[in-house]
Amino acid sequence: MPELTQSVVTLIGEFAKLPGIGRKSAERLTYHVLRVHKNEALALAEAIRAVKENVRYCSACYNLAEEELCDICKDSRRDRDVLCVVEQPRDLIALEQAGVYRGLYHVLLGRIAPLEGINPDQLTIDALVERVRSGRFKEVIMATNPTVEGDGTSLHISNLLGEFPVQITRLARGITTGSVLEFANKEILADAMSGRQKF
Amino acid sequence: MSSEKAAAIVLRAVDFSETSLVITLFTREFGKIGALAKGGRRLKGPFESALDLLALCRIVFLHKTSDTLDLLTEAKLLRRFRPPGKNLLNLYAGYYVAELLDDLTEANDPHPRLFDLADETLAALAAGEPAARRTIRFELGMLQLLGLLPSLDDCAECGNRVPAVGRIAFGLIDGGVLCPACRAGKTGVVSVHAGVLRTMSQLADAEGNAWQRLEIDPRSLGELRGVLNRYLIHLLGKKPKMHEYLGAMSS
Repeated sequence: MPELTQSVVTLIGEFAKLPGIGRKSAERLTYHVLRVHKNEALALAEAIRAVKENVRYCSACYNLAEEELCDICKDSRRDRDVLCVVEQPRDLIALEQAGVYRGLYHVLLGRIAPLEGINPDQLTIDALVERVRSGRFKEVIMATNPTVEGDGTSLHISNLLGEFPVQITRLARGITTGSVLEFANKEILADAMSGRQKF
Repeated sequence: MSSEKAAAIVLRAVDFSETSLVITLFTREFGKIGALAKGGRRLKGPFESALDLLALCRIVFLHKTSDTLDLLTEAKLLRRFRPPGKNLLNLYAGYYVAELLDDLTEANDPHPRLFDLADETLAALAAGEPAARRTIRFELGMLQLLGLLPSLDDCAECGNRVPAVGRIAFGLIDGGVLCPACRAGKTGVVSVHAGVLRTMSQLADAEGNAWQRLEIDPRSLGELRGVLNRYLIHLLGKKPKMHEYLGAMSS
């Protein structure tokens, strides 16, 4: 791109590294940055810098935090008897947005995926086991994704936690509320039937 | 670019952008294919959460003539892979089936009988059948169907019949048993009991069901596992990722 300055070419290159951003989109974002007021552009740069310098993982649950502990771990009103295990911080956010859970969390920062080279020791499973060992949890809820790898991760963890006096549960699965049985596939129906509840 | 239908097993699913997936599928009709499933991570859509690892599906896809990814347009789940209870070993054996299919088959090279063998193996593992025998049966059946089964009766070097008594030299590099004359000076040779080689031969028989009645004592199973592991490592040029997880199967 001989007609562009080096700084512009560099910025396009950096934008193009972002997920879902192609060369054209990177150019469009760069032109936007060139067009807006200097303060607005520098605010973006400052926000990126602040995220990289201030955000870390909570030392207890591995949620995103700006201090030693995240807001959830610091909140004394949370139920400290229940621990919900999720794969990623975004799963925690989804559960928080549902507004129905008031316990604590533990973020694994991934799932066991041997074929992708992700082994148990690359996740925060050791910290989880230590937390359950030294904590006073009565229930651990496995809220990994309902996939083969997510279920496998839950199974691995539940085997490790088997020696502790905690109840291990997992999220219910089955028919979506508002749908009809006729259009549910057999796997969903089998899940719903095996996980039926007392009425 | 033609629209095709196939029965498929999901070997890999990698996130691509916010909602899409890049899928590796082993199909009965077209062999291994790579496809883009736009919106494959959404709960609703043409894929109905069918694109989970090791799931058996009926798929519709646009087959590209060039080297680019095919485009998956529909997937209907036929069977999800879900070993019963707390059986991690069968889960890992399922992963191993996916790893071998991905590593040992070429793209767009159909092997319908291998597909059937993989389907049968995954169904048996999901039903809770012991993983050790099922896995060995799959490995040997697969090697035979792909023409990669080592020579178990005749010398891999000179072709002469090797007497099936005592311990026999097995050349990992040569691809099978070696007679005493050809054994001399070879590297990469292990010693295998003749009974273990016989068992291997019976387990590799892709047609019959005789293997299901085979009595294999734990010691022979361990020896068979060991020689097969080394042969596969030599064949692949690397240690399969799942070997570490499946260590318990050799005992």
